[in-house]
Amino acid sequence: MIVLGIETSTPQTSVALGTEIEILASTSLTGKARQDAVVPAIEHLLRWSGLELQAVGGIAVGLGPGLFTGLRVGVEAGKSLAQVLGVPIVGIPSLDALAFGVRHTSRVIGAVIDARRAEVFYAFYRAVPGGVLREGEFQVAPPDHLAADLEARGEDVLLAGNGAILYRRELEGAGGRLEFASAASAHPQAGSLVELAIPRLHREEYDRLFDVAPLYLRKSDAEIAWDQRRRGASS
Amino acid sequence: MRIELDAALAEDTRAIGAALAELLQPGDAVALSGELGAGKTTFVQGVARGLGFAGTVVSPTFTLVREYRARLAIHHVDVYRLERVQDVLDLGFEEMADEDGLLLVEWGDAVEGLLPADHLSVELTVPGQDERRRMVVTGTGRSWAIRWERLEQVLEPWGTDA
Repeated sequence: MIVLGIETSTPQTSVALGTEIEILASTSLTGKARQDAVVPAIEHLLRWSGLELQAVGGIAVGLGPGLFTGLRVGVEAGKSLAQVLGVPIVGIPSLDALAFGVRHTSRVIGAVIDARRAEVFYAFYRAVPGGVLREGEFQVAPPDHLAADLEARGEDVLLAGNGAILYRRELEGAGGRLEFASAASAHPQAGSLVELAIPRLHREEYDRLFDVAPLYLRKSDAEIAWDQRRRGASS
Repeated sequence: MRIELDAALAEDTRAIGAALAELLQPGDAVALSGELGAGKTTFVQGVARGLGFAGTVVSPTFTLVREYRARLAIHHVDVYRLERVQDVLDLGFEEMADEDGLLLVEWGDAVEGLLPADHLSVELTVPGQDERRRMVVTGTGRSWAIRWERLEQVLEPWGTDA
């Protein structure tokens, strides 16, 4: 089965085509207009690899948490293709894909993505046969909150992701048992999405098309504090 | 950091926006406040013109967000019709003042907590029945402190000594 992976949760957009055996083609790009480049990048992949779009048998899409604009474009592109091609889709948290990419370690894995506004998205993982197992919930918090988490765990941790690199100095204060993955592992890769999706596609653990949506961790129940002036003006 | 301005005509409101535009940088956010008809959109027209945008700028009251490609990628937002903070977040609001972006928010005072820590506030008031508008420009944060003297210079022609 050929699976198309689409990952857009960070400033690096990544797309890949792969099978049970190998990643056939992949590309990643960064830059201002990266959202607009998702569909052209997929077209390029198909052209380079000599594959027809109709050969794609499943879609794997990264759900974030991550940057809003990119995620919205990437997830919608994946859903549109799944619908047009009539193939199943699997949504995978982007932090899972990030951790999967550095899973060959005996350490606990901390996947950390820059959330802007002096915050990071993060989650902890443990390598298990065939993949990674997430421990606990996804978090969005300032780096010192993550540093406190690391200190409380008191374990050997491998930190990966652009958030870990960006806040390395703050996080290193949490103790000497940290290791930082290289810049090559700064962003979740679409190839990891493909690898994570294939077992689920074989088990027919598909997601319902209309249930596939980006993971937004920044939630608010608050009302906008409209003052009297607006109420007066609008009535 | 506070500047008071007087705009006799709608064209002055635009000219003030265009003068401000010279100082705007990627990542800036400007909150516009003032009652309906106070000139928030008129001000944005001036900013867009100052940044080299030649197209039409209208209020995004019903479309919520409009984007103009100019020297900066302008995100023109109107939160007037929204009731919940989540509705604003769902626009991707927090990323609009990123990278090469400029965020201009009508009724921005109502969602000030969602703006970047460094931002500019422009409050427009209508003293009479004509086109005359009073403006109070307030800067918050280090990035505006650095630019404040220059901002006072470019807005000097419309300054009030009161």
